[in-house]
Amino acid sequence: MWLPVLGLIIGLFFGFMTDIKIPEEYSNYLSIAVLAALDTLFGGIRAHLQDMYDEMVFVSGFFFNIILAAGLAFLGVHLGVDLYLAAIFAFGVRLFQNIAVIRRILLTKWTSKKEK
Amino acid sequence: MSRKYIVFTLISILVGFMIAIQFRAVKEPIVRDTRDTWQLREDLQKEKELELRLLREIRSNEEKIAQYETDRLHGKEQVLKDTLDELKSEAGLTVVKGHGLILTISPIEEEMLLGKPVGKISPDLLKRLLNELNRYGAQYVSIDDHRVINSTVIRDINNETKIDGYSIQSLPIEIKVIAENQQAAELLYKRMQVSKSAEDFFIDHLRLETAKANKEITIPAYEDSIRIMHMEPVKSAEGGSS
Repeated sequence: MWLPVLGLIIGLFFGFMTDIKIPEEYSNYLSIAVLAALDTLFGGIRAHLQDMYDEMVFVSGFFFNIILAAGLAFLGVHLGVDLYLAAIFAFGVRLFQNIAVIRRILLTKWTSKKEK
Repeated sequence: MSRKYIVFTLISILVGFMIAIQFRAVKEPIVRDTRDTWQLREDLQKEKELELRLLREIRSNEEKIAQYETDRLHGKEQVLKDTLDELKSEAGLTVVKGHGLILTISPIEEEMLLGKPVGKISPDLLKRLLNELNRYGAQYVSIDDHRVINSTVIRDINNETKIDGYSIQSLPIEIKVIAENQQAAELLYKRMQVSKSAEDFFIDHLRLETAKANKEITIPAYEDSIRIMHMEPVKSAEGGSS
């Protein structure tokens, strides 16, 4: 249960330790990619809690969403339309939904445990 | 079950990594400038003073450089060096460039066809030509790329004409002459055209051709060291003796 959290901390640690710097014009893409990754992560957690977890869906969703989001942002830059807003909107809404579902599931689990 | 966790962990490591990099990219500490007008003025004053000081330093350094330069120019060493250079060029120890003529001495081909012997440049003829050139304003002369200086000897050794020990190997040879300037070169050219030397050479079965050099010509330096045998420095005159 705590292994993914530990992984997140390790990732953060490595990210801050390494000296990788991305150019400012690409930081937009990375932010979209981070959003997509977070969305997928929370989607995975929700699926796990609802016992619907499928590894292939999770892993493919993770990479596909990142690439799609960055590609959309790239296309938007070249078309002159802020297409990354679409990605932010979609991922943001889904992120909230996923977190809400996770919260409810955890709440019901907690209350049922309490009643016992 | 454990595989799921491993996948989750890997993905979360990736997410953490991305977030950290994004953080570093975005998080640039912006230091706000909160100085008011008075502080700005004071800072400006400080910087101006620094600028002034630096300018003063630059000026003093430049003055020093100029002083060293003048010292060097007027120093005894420089004078000596200049004199040495002057003397060297006068003695013929330097390469000289300038306007002038190129004289070519070649055998007469028509006579060679008739079976007559190829002419030889006699030292007398060469001396006479050099004298003529000198008389008409030649400043620097080289024969067959050997510099002719004041002490150059042209003589016959074993039936070979030698200039300072270098024999004239094969005809044709070139005599390069540099005059003082372009006008002098022009004058020299005209004089050489009407000079009798060409006829003298013709008698010896040689042809002397005079050509004006279009570009500046180069005369090499004297290659050997100049040996001075019978000369000694003049003793400085003592007071009352002169």
